[in-house]
Amino acid sequence: MRFHIITAAFLWAAFVESRKIRGISSSYKRFYRERKSFLCIDGSKIIPFEQVNDDYCDCADGSDEPGTSACPRGRFYCTNLGFRPHYIPSSRVNDGICDCCDASDEYNSHARCQNTCWNLGQKERAYVEGQMKTLDEGLRLKQQLIEEGVLLWREKQAQLRELQRAAEDLQIKLEEHRKRKHEADRLKEQTLKALKAGDRDVRPESSSCGFRHQNSTVSHLFQLLDSNKDGSISLDEVKAKVVLVHDETRVLSEDEALTLLGGGHQMDLSKFQNTLWDVLTRGDGYKIKDAHSAPGGLMSEDPHLKAADRAAEWEAADLKKVEEAYETVNMEISDLQKKLEIDYGTDWEYLFLNGQCYKLKVYEYMYTLCPFNTVSQKSTAGTEVSLGLWGMWAGPAKNRYSQMVYENGEPCWQGGSRTTSVTLTCGTETGLRSVKEPSKCQYIMDFETPVACQPVLKQRGVHSEL
Amino acid sequence: MCCWFFLRRMGPVLLLWVAVCLSGSWAVDKGNFKTCDQSAFCKRQRAMKPGESPYRALLETMELTNTRLTLQLINDNNKVRLLLELYRLQGNITRVKINELKPLKPRYEVPDVLIREPPTEPLSLLSQDENGVVLSLGAESQRVIVSARPFRLDIVEGRDVLMSLNSRGLLGFEHLRMQEEEKVEDGMWEETFKTHTDSKPSGPSAVSLDFSLPGVEHVYGIPEHGDSLKLKTTDSGDPYRLYNLDVFQYELYNPMALYGSVPVMLSHNARRTMGIFWLNAAETWVDISSNTAGKTVFGKMLDYVQGSSETPQTDVRWISESGIIDVFLMLGPTPRDVFSQYASLTGTQAFPPLASLGYHQCRWNYNDQEDVRSVDAGFDEHDIPYDFIWLDIEHTDGKRYFTWDPHKFASPKEMLQGLQDKKRKMVAIVDPHIKVDTNYKIHNEIRSRGFYVKNKDGGDYEGWCWPGSAGYPDFTRPDMRAWWASQFAYDQYEGTMENLYTWNDMNEPSVFNGPEVTMHKDAMHESWEHRDVHNLYGLYVHRATAEGLIERSGGVERPFVLTRAFFAGSQRYGAVWTGDNAAEWDHLKISIPMCLSLGLVGISFCGADVGGFFKSPSTELLVRWYQTGAYQPFFRAHAHLDTPRREPWLFGPENTALIREVIRQRYTFLPYWYQLFYLAYQTGEPVMRPLWVEYPQDPATFALDDEFLLGRDLLVHPVTEEGARGVTAYLPGKHEVWFDIHTFQKHNGGQNLYIPVTMSSIPVFQRGGSIIPRKLRVRRSSTCMEHDPYTLYVALDNRRTAEGELYIDDGHTFNYEKKELMHRKFSFANGVLSSVDLEPNAQFTTKSWVERIIILGASKPSMVTLKTADGENQLEFDFDASMSVLTIRKPGMNAGADWTVTLQ
Repeated sequence: MRFHIITAAFLWAAFVESRKIRGISSSYKRFYRERKSFLCIDGSKIIPFEQVNDDYCDCADGSDEPGTSACPRGRFYCTNLGFRPHYIPSSRVNDGICDCCDASDEYNSHARCQNTCWNLGQKERAYVEGQMKTLDEGLRLKQQLIEEGVLLWREKQAQLRELQRAAEDLQIKLEEHRKRKHEADRLKEQTLKALKAGDRDVRPESSSCGFRHQNSTVSHLFQLLDSNKDGSISLDEVKAKVVLVHDETRVLSEDEALTLLGGGHQMDLSKFQNTLWDVLTRGDGYKIKDAHSAPGGLMSEDPHLKAADRAAEWEAADLKKVEEAYETVNMEISDLQKKLEIDYGTDWEYLFLNGQCYKLKVYEYMYTLCPFNTVSQKSTAGTEVSLGLWGMWAGPAKNRYSQMVYENGEPCWQGGSRTTSVTLTCGTETGLRSVKEPSKCQYIMDFETPVACQPVLKQRGVHSEL
Repeated sequence: MCCWFFLRRMGPVLLLWVAVCLSGSWAVDKGNFKTCDQSAFCKRQRAMKPGESPYRALLETMELTNTRLTLQLINDNNKVRLLLELYRLQGNITRVKINELKPLKPRYEVPDVLIREPPTEPLSLLSQDENGVVLSLGAESQRVIVSARPFRLDIVEGRDVLMSLNSRGLLGFEHLRMQEEEKVEDGMWEETFKTHTDSKPSGPSAVSLDFSLPGVEHVYGIPEHGDSLKLKTTDSGDPYRLYNLDVFQYELYNPMALYGSVPVMLSHNARRTMGIFWLNAAETWVDISSNTAGKTVFGKMLDYVQGSSETPQTDVRWISESGIIDVFLMLGPTPRDVFSQYASLTGTQAFPPLASLGYHQCRWNYNDQEDVRSVDAGFDEHDIPYDFIWLDIEHTDGKRYFTWDPHKFASPKEMLQGLQDKKRKMVAIVDPHIKVDTNYKIHNEIRSRGFYVKNKDGGDYEGWCWPGSAGYPDFTRPDMRAWWASQFAYDQYEGTMENLYTWNDMNEPSVFNGPEVTMHKDAMHESWEHRDVHNLYGLYVHRATAEGLIERSGGVERPFVLTRAFFAGSQRYGAVWTGDNAAEWDHLKISIPMCLSLGLVGISFCGADVGGFFKSPSTELLVRWYQTGAYQPFFRAHAHLDTPRREPWLFGPENTALIREVIRQRYTFLPYWYQLFYLAYQTGEPVMRPLWVEYPQDPATFALDDEFLLGRDLLVHPVTEEGARGVTAYLPGKHEVWFDIHTFQKHNGGQNLYIPVTMSSIPVFQRGGSIIPRKLRVRRSSTCMEHDPYTLYVALDNRRTAEGELYIDDGHTFNYEKKELMHRKFSFANGVLSSVDLEPNAQFTTKSWVERIIILGASKPSMVTLKTADGENQLEFDFDASMSVLTIRKPGMNAGADWTVTLQ
């Protein structure tokens, strides 16, 4: 009998206990010891203990109603044996929706909740296991990629040095070629001048003065002007061959030509020698058009000049080649430098991504991410749109390399331009996993790669309260 | 949403238009819409001179039966005769109809707007001579005086003239004629606006009439306009225009037409409220002038002191393009009388499902099912309640309504079930333009049944809208509406379930390449021109859709349908929003008068896009908009496709908390909202109302539109200024007291009160003398709160009394029509709070109970006793002496029980 009473008392106490402590975690049990009164956890109020979980909110902090929906700011503890325990807002207690996998939140509602914790736990454990495997594998791959990254980095550095050396060599060569071309040009010029002066002995030192008294030169010039070889210079012939020294391109006007011909329409050799010859040889007003490069049939046929001309051309072509090579090398250097300026992570582990492109089709669009370069979108109709150019790493301070931003893509209708933010997550393979456009022109991509695997967080296993 | 986005997709043909759109700032391109001068009939009618009426009443033709007076009018200029009919309608309404005596062909009379042929009351002849007749209007001392030359009607009560018709001689009635018959003016038989020519096969057909309102300085109504509550005089500009139009980026504070039209104007002075209901669905313009407009208060006072003042008077003139004159003079005398008079003609607000009074999350667009799932999860993660998530046009398969995008929404039922599992719902858009595509079932059926609106040449009318080339079903046809309604059946509209509801946009109708972005007036609806029915089109779309939702449930479930276009009577079919507004402070401000104006003319279920549709709101504006929207009837956030995301949790934890808090406030007040909607459904009283409705004798309230009342008992003063640190609210009622709902601080009525504000809330007051039931356990959605207990907020007035009501039913079916409801009345007097049954014949049981009673303005009792059928027991209580707030702990009785709580 006594035993029975004790049992009954015990059971009653257990019942009371279980009612009172609904919705609290074991670490909070100390606040809810059965006493006469209950002190709100924030210390704001003392209430009779019967008022704990009596479906009326007495404490401003909601601590008197951990197991009911009475307090607006309360929370309910799902024990979730076999799965993860967690808190839900009190407003989800008995709302007809199963929130706790152990069904403890719907103890007085229509909802028919099953205890799904064991299944969820299994799933989660399998998932976590998978994640751990992925992480281990990812970290292994990452190590490889780091090693490769270091090698790649060194290789690129070596490449850079080589290019720089090549550039130096080319610069020396360039100087040489410039000199040579200069020399060839000078030679050609001299030959030409000599020819003009009628001096057949091409002597580099020959001065340009003195040729004025050479009869042959007067007649030579006269012949040059007399295109139709009729023995006199006409108005049209003057207009065709004579130009202003300061404006070679302008054709002389009728009046100017007339003046040069001394007011007449014709001029013979003798008149020429006394008038126009002076004007032309003075060299301050008028000259023979193309006198330099087209010295009439006489000069072009000159073999010395021809040789000099060819040599000059030869040297110019050579110089151009060297210049181009130099430019190319310099461009490669600056490209490589730019590439190497990018932050590829502490161990250059992201370097291998530069130069790769990854594609993913989402609905009607094909998306392409070329890390550190471009992001683009191509519709099935075929038009390609830039969604951004490499901007920067944009992860939070403690995990900078978890997010990339690509900016200044194709402009948007309402102003601004397309941008893409790429989140890097740990995986055993490298590839684009998802693309979204939550707002117009703002794209979000998930990019999976072993190098995003972080060794620091060996994930918490599933532990449940017992 | 408007044509803007469409344009960019329609390619080079419309590039020029794009350029025009781009060249402006954010304002509407006014050049796309007509002024009165550009609308030939308006110009003709407005050119008429007052005081030269050619109309004469032919008294010898008068016939008076018990309920109807008929009388011929003759136009002495052209000898055309009109027939005047005058009816006295039950409930102090006088109806005046004027039509041609012998029109060439019938003129359009608006069907389907009146809920029935209005019941009449006897008219009797009092006196008659050669100058006119005097009739008695029923039992009150009201008479109508018909003057013969010129024709004029005066409605008189005692010695006061309430209203005069044609007193300025601006009755205009263009008779139907053959084209060769008379001199032809420009725009009579053809009219061109921009690139569109209106062929006008019937020629001129306008009607107009003037109304004088002696003693009136305040008129309201005739929505929809982006303008103040008190209507302005229109002498110096265009009249207010009523013509349902899709106006891109509408501008505020002007009389331009917007998406909907309700041709109802209310007049008010301290002695009387009246209404004019001009039943005409054609393009309509309303001119308002006043003899006191422009006078300063001082000037008026001087007039008064000197006794030199003429009586203030407002003159109104209505001009419509076609149809007849059919006008209902609602003679009040109180605001409530006018509401019930108008309700007796066009019906009351549809009683909405309770969930639709919760918070709605919308965006153009939620991209796919995953997007919907993650937004839904966001609300749970941030512990913010919501009831509806919305899908805009992108959810369809190529803008073919009644379909789903096969990739982005591949398994809609799965998605809907996911929402259902959380007791939440969805709205998907169904617009009335139908893609012309022979592979589209809906199009093929409409075409083969001949249901499309026809063009003037008899072929199916086609216009450009979202899908490209589109047909427009002729919703004026009952057979078309029945077919449309049948398309909402679960076996027709694939992928749908009970928790999917509907949104009708673009139903003005919007035609991107039509004149003024709408349908050509010479398009044909069977034998009527679009000109005659234009303003009705949106109402019919809304109606057919609402009927579809009712039918799919076998008549059991209440529908929820949102519409952009509307007309008189649209209140019977669901909710209305103010269209494509912008994320600007002025647009937040204007949401108040816009919804107040709609409420006055019967449409209570009104809201504006929270946050603003175009552009991106600053965080402050967004928070303020949530705080305002939470206290407006239809509470939906919406955003344009081109704007960044703005779900409530995207603005930092502080702002998330502010938005969460105000949405939760909304949910705590849901029992009150529901009761107000039940009242609106029963009586036509607006849910959201101007202060003057409750304080009709206080002129200080007459023009207020920066604050408003919800029912009688909540006064809301939104904060609509950037960086505001305080607002000045007018607390009405000399003998009233008002309690701040946040602090319980008590303030006296009849004063302007400066209230400092922070970002945490806007000023909201509960009237002393009221009892408001609330549910403080805010959960994920309103449906989750169904069985939750109530807290009664009893705010005592100066006589230490208070009254309130509680309405409960199942929240979603029509069973309330079968009296499956509970309607309680709470009263507090002499220290006793009691609950009595207002509907003893009704039957409904609830699990909900009363968990708390909070009495504001109380004194400390020594004992509190609850008495129910089960006996008596004492209740615990807590008294806060600093605020005089008594909180009675857990009385615990069922919300449906009879009980008293006595304070001793």
